[in-house]
Amino acid sequence: MTNTWYFYLFFSAALVGAGLFALLAKRNLIRLFIAIEVIAKGVSLLLLATGFAKGNVLLAQALVVTFIVIEVSLVATALALIINIYRHTKSLDIRKLAKLKG
Amino acid sequence: MIIQTALLVGLVLFSALAILLKDLLKAAISLAVASLLLGIVFFRLGAPYAGVFEISVVAGLITVLFILTIALTNTGEEVRESRLVNIVFPLFFVVFIVIDALVMKGLVQKIPALPAAAESGTFGDVLWKGRTLDLVGQIAVILAGVFSVLALFRKRDKHD
Repeated sequence: MTNTWYFYLFFSAALVGAGLFALLAKRNLIRLFIAIEVIAKGVSLLLLATGFAKGNVLLAQALVVTFIVIEVSLVATALALIINIYRHTKSLDIRKLAKLKG
Repeated sequence: MIIQTALLVGLVLFSALAILLKDLLKAAISLAVASLLLGIVFFRLGAPYAGVFEISVVAGLITVLFILTIALTNTGEEVRESRLVNIVFPLFFVVFIVIDALVMKGLVQKIPALPAAAESGTFGDVLWKGRTLDLVGQIAVILAGVFSVLALFRKRDKHD
C-alpha cells in the first residue's frame, strides 16, 4: 500500500512544487493562473491517490468532484477579474498592480 | 504500472511545459493535455466519475475560458518575464524532484495509518447520502461565481 501511495505522492508533490515556483517567479497574470491550475491538479491527484491507497476511492472521488466544481467557479471569477484588470491597466503585468493609485 | 508511470510523467512534463512555454496559447493547450492525462489516471485508479469531470470540465471548459481570456487580452504587447526564470526553473525542478524522491518515502511512513471503514454502496450513495452538505456548498459556490462574474461585467452607469 505504502509503495503505491508513495509513488502518487511523489508526482503530486512535483506538480505542487512546479506550480509554486511559477507563482513566485512569473509576472504575467494569466501565467500565474496557469500555475494555480497546476497546483490544483497536484492536489486532486493527491486526494484521489490517498483514497485509492486507503481503499476509500468512492469518498475520494466525491471530494475530487467537489474540488473540480469549486475550481471552475474560481477560474471563471479570476479570469473575469484578469480581464477587468487588463481593461484598467492595459497590461497583464503583475508589477503594474503594485500601485494603489485609482 | 508502466502505463501509469508513463501517464504521470507525461502529466508532470506537460504541466512544466505549460509553465515554461512562451506562447500563452500553447501553454493553455499543454495544460489541457495535462488535464486529459490526469483524467486517464483517474479512470485507471477506479474513479470514472472524477475522470469524466476532469476531462470534460477541466480539459474542456477551463481551456475554453483560458483561450477566451487570452484572445480578449491580446494586444501584442508581451509582458517581459525575467530571463533568469527559464534557466533557474529546470535546475530548481530537478533539485526539487531529487529531494522529493529522497524525503517523501520517509514522510509517508511517518503518517499514522488512519482507520478506514470499508466502503459500501455506489458512488451515488456516497455523494448524495454521505456528502450532502458538500453538494449544498457546491451550489453556493457556483452561485457566488455566477454573481461575481455578473458584478464584474455589469454595464457601467453613465455618471461613473
